[in-house]
Amino acid sequence: MLFNLVIKDFIIAKKYLVFMLVFAIVGPIFITSKLELNNGGFISFVVTALYSLYILFNTVSMSEDKYKGSALLCATPYTRSSLVKAKYLFICVLFICSVAVYTMVSYIVPELLGRLNITNIGLAFLIVTVFFGILIPVQFRFGFEKTKFIAFIVVFLTPFIFPPIVEWLESNPSLNVTFSLPQMLRGWLPFVLTLLIGLVSMNISIRIYSRKNL
Amino acid sequence: MNNILELTDLSKELDHFRLNKVSFSLMEGCITGFIGVNGSGKTTTIKTILGLILKDGGSIKLFGKEMTEHERDLKNRIGVVLDEGYFYDDMTLKEMKNIISPAYKSWDEDVFVSYIKRFNLSLNQKISTLSKGMRMKYAITLALSHHADLLIMDEPTSGLDPLVRSELMDLLLEFMKEEGKTVFFSTHMTSDLDKIADMLILIDDGKILLSEEKDQLLDTHAIVKGDNKLLNEQTRKLFLVLRETAYGFEGVTSKKSSVHQQMSDVLIEKPTIEDIMLAYIGGSKDAI
Repeated sequence: MLFNLVIKDFIIAKKYLVFMLVFAIVGPIFITSKLELNNGGFISFVVTALYSLYILFNTVSMSEDKYKGSALLCATPYTRSSLVKAKYLFICVLFICSVAVYTMVSYIVPELLGRLNITNIGLAFLIVTVFFGILIPVQFRFGFEKTKFIAFIVVFLTPFIFPPIVEWLESNPSLNVTFSLPQMLRGWLPFVLTLLIGLVSMNISIRIYSRKNL
Repeated sequence: MNNILELTDLSKELDHFRLNKVSFSLMEGCITGFIGVNGSGKTTTIKTILGLILKDGGSIKLFGKEMTEHERDLKNRIGVVLDEGYFYDDMTLKEMKNIISPAYKSWDEDVFVSYIKRFNLSLNQKISTLSKGMRMKYAITLALSHHADLLIMDEPTSGLDPLVRSELMDLLLEFMKEEGKTVFFSTHMTSDLDKIADMLILIDDGKILLSEEKDQLLDTHAIVKGDNKLLNEQTRKLFLVLRETAYGFEGVTSKKSSVHQQMSDVLIEKPTIEDIMLAYIGGSKDAI
């Protein structure tokens, strides 16, 4: 059932899927070459992924807000919690697609894009989860219209604020938190944090949505 | 006959409206019309039954089970048609069906296809291109393709032309031929109910004013016309609503036999459901 709800989101966003695929291919190359970043393509991947995911997620939210289709779905045996879970799963699937597209492009043009290692993917997933982990419950609580302005500001400021912050962090190793964890566990830590943040956010969203009048 | 749906003291407080201890039941094998003017609480009641609006108090029992505890199982036995459709308009009929159908345990693709053919709908057509009537037919197709025992419809005839309305009424009668089926539909167009309803429930300002068999309601109520001289303190009490002009009076009574006994030389006519509804809510025909 959950799978069908994710398919539903893809059908709603289908008009933009090809455009986003092109953006996911061209975006990292453009950002890396223009900003002359030297971090193996990590920042260009995060920025592109965040943009693509936000635009597709927003397209779905806009359609939900316009047609109130979720009211009909909630009148069927679909549960409210499955509708919420599907939103998170949709983001996960989109992220996996973003990683796949980026990796393919990095194999095709290795001179332009560095390959992502597991830690980079984990960190990118963590950033995406933090963003959507806040956005989704806020949107369930306040609705699409009120939330979109806040989200727009945050997303459009990301390319300007995010790269300098990461560059600055990278150039100041003393600021990096040193973990006493083994290297392998350190690589998986972002995934663990992603899972925790995702689960907490999902439970908050389920609670909010279960009290909402449709 | 069993009670399919039982509402007991259902309450809901919204911004500018409240459901006030709504109680009624639906009997198996009956078409029940849920009537009331716009804004009387029909949609709120239906949405609360379906769990789209959360109740503040009271109980909703479907097929003898509490709705909140067995929501998923019970919804498998309900077919739903909502007033505005609530479809994703950019999708095709097939895409929308592909989302709805997996939700039901007993979805029957053959039944779905037969209704699609019967209504001359095209599966590759976008929902946004459907006319109001076609949209309603599609909504009913979705609602009837999983062998629902209870069909709940919110204002299904609103905005439809007489031909489509008549088709819809025939479809409901056809649905009722199968044993154990029940229909509950809200409307402010009472003429639809004259033909097909078995039971009537009247709601006004969030309160249930009456819940009775249609035929009994029509038998016990009457439009009474006569000379003003016949009206006195005693006889006025027999009327739910009374309109006096220089030429005489016209009123609706629920005490037909008492009128017969106490008022001679009056003209007694059979009322329509609309006459009765307006008498209870204290309006006039012009108000609808």
